[in-house]
Amino acid sequence: MSTVAPAERAMNLVIALTHTPHRMTRAEIRSRVNGYADAPNDDAFERMFERDKDMLRDLGIPVVTLVNQAHGDDVGYRIDTEHYRLPAIDLTPEEIGVLSAAAQVWQGAHLDPVARRAVTKLRAISPAAADDVGARLRVPPPEATFEPLVRAATTRARVSFRYRAASSSARGSITPARRRVEPWRLVARDGAWYLQAWDLDREAERLFRLSRIAGSVSVAEADSATQPVPADLRREGAPPRRCVLAVRPDRAAALRLRAVVEGPEEQAPEDAASEPVPEGYERVVVLESDLEALAGMIAGYTADVLVLAPADLRAGVIARLRAAAALAAQPAPNRQEADADA
Amino acid sequence: MPESTSERLARLLALVTYLSDHDDVPVAELAEHFAVSRAQILRDIDTLWVSGTPGYQPDDLLDFSSDAYDAQRIALTNARGMDRPLRLGTTEAVSLVVALRAMQSLPGVADTPALSTALAKLTAAVGDAAAGAEKVSLEPRTEPLAQRVAEHAAIVREAMRTGTRLRLTYVSAADETTTRLVDPLELTSDGDYSYLRAWCLRADAVRHFRLDRFLDLLPDGAAQPHPEAGEVGTSLRPQDAALRVTLTLTPRSRWVAERYGGTVTAEGETLEVELDVASTAWLTQLVLDLGADVLGLQPDTLARDIAARATRALAAYEEEVA
Repeated sequence: MSTVAPAERAMNLVIALTHTPHRMTRAEIRSRVNGYADAPNDDAFERMFERDKDMLRDLGIPVVTLVNQAHGDDVGYRIDTEHYRLPAIDLTPEEIGVLSAAAQVWQGAHLDPVARRAVTKLRAISPAAADDVGARLRVPPPEATFEPLVRAATTRARVSFRYRAASSSARGSITPARRRVEPWRLVARDGAWYLQAWDLDREAERLFRLSRIAGSVSVAEADSATQPVPADLRREGAPPRRCVLAVRPDRAAALRLRAVVEGPEEQAPEDAASEPVPEGYERVVVLESDLEALAGMIAGYTADVLVLAPADLRAGVIARLRAAAALAAQPAPNRQEADADA
Repeated sequence: MPESTSERLARLLALVTYLSDHDDVPVAELAEHFAVSRAQILRDIDTLWVSGTPGYQPDDLLDFSSDAYDAQRIALTNARGMDRPLRLGTTEAVSLVVALRAMQSLPGVADTPALSTALAKLTAAVGDAAAGAEKVSLEPRTEPLAQRVAEHAAIVREAMRTGTRLRLTYVSAADETTTRLVDPLELTSDGDYSYLRAWCLRADAVRHFRLDRFLDLLPDGAAQPHPEAGEVGTSLRPQDAALRVTLTLTPRSRWVAERYGGTVTAEGETLEVELDVASTAWLTQLVLDLGADVLGLQPDTLARDIAARATRALAAYEEEVA
């Protein structure tokens, strides 16, 4: 007997459960649907059927369970064709093109095949895609805890997970503590995913980085969350700040693009007095709200750009320079030096 | 990456729906429509041909025209009632709605009319299934030069549409300004910055250019096709990397490997990432940007070099403090 491929077996299950006049029991499925006779024993059949049934439901196929009252635990299945159908959606070639491009946002993430599957379903009823937008957006791949957390936020369910706090230091390996929270939403920002939630033990709003969640998330029943969700969850971006820099002539052209021109009356008198521009440098003023990002950029220019103000930007740059300077004294590598010609 | 069973099943069902509506379709056209190979389409049809309701007698099976099949065309003759389009699952709906919303933040793309109409139609069709999308938000960093970047992105998109070559004046990570001719391939964004992926005539290779480092951008005649440029959507990994380095990083800097196509070679309390880099200037910028998250760098000579530059910069600070 030849083995039936899993997709072929599942296809036959879908057709059988769509056409059954009332329902099919597991025994009927095993004996009558092509592919299930491959199961060598009861356990193998159960595993095979459960996996297929979960996959069908995951695909959005409404597999309903019907219990025969007269026969106790006699369970049967069929597909609810009413709820199977995708509502009419009339897509233009440009729109299906845009949707194909959108599916690629998840490249490399576990949502990648999920989004591709969704586009396949839409292609079933769409014209040929028009040349796509010619643009790609890539987002940080969300961790596996993403889906249960989205579900919990949607169904207002409490969750708990073990979390490595940031305060345990970048290198530390302190045992992750159990946190109980009410999820509000998931946010991708600065190359990482965060859970914005109400922390039940700290009785305050907290932001959790998904990559610091250890292990899986336990989700309580729907509507177990009680803390009202704030109407506006978006956190205010910091207002732009005036940053005074000293730049060597003809250097840092990319930074100079951001420079603002200000007249003498706009110059804060204190930085003219206390922060004189060193010899061989020119004064450049930029407005920036994300000082961490700006500090990273400025540090890259090393001695070509110096920060005069504000003090926290200056400290951010100096901290980066100190860390890089320390690389001169790095411990010997624990393995062969990387081959520079590779 | 091998295809999962659920992806294949979704396509098998979609094929039946599509073929119920389109009679006698060339295999090549189906392959293009569903973005798979012709061989895969033929395997799918072979599978569908033996699928049906229990009993599996000729009348129970999905059926296709043999004559058409022999001529590399597909004509469905019995759909066995499987012609309904399948609705989207909850996660599927969420994945697309969130992705479309995120694309609306792309410079030069946000105003594509098809983007908002596709989003509206999709949201209407999936209904509650997309409720989860309300709970997901992509908040790209607002680029300080957002308006400038959007203007450049618009020029790039117009050039891609019309097959136009561009004359680009660009400041590199090494702080060097050059003017070069490029044939644009695509716009990409990693959520933080937008890049132009283009064929650079000077390098005679594919290069990525950050849009916020453009000094000037002008159309300059007709672009040429570059089949050797590879598929759209390739990573930012330099294609003719000059140097392979190993960075020892804190675990929270894992994104470095993901964004720049590096390989994580060891993971524990610290992370070892092997990275191909195009220039030492680019690497210097990365190491200084990461600051205390860089715990080590090989080769050693390069580490000492960057350390020396940082030390000189610290000296400049102390001088002017004094």
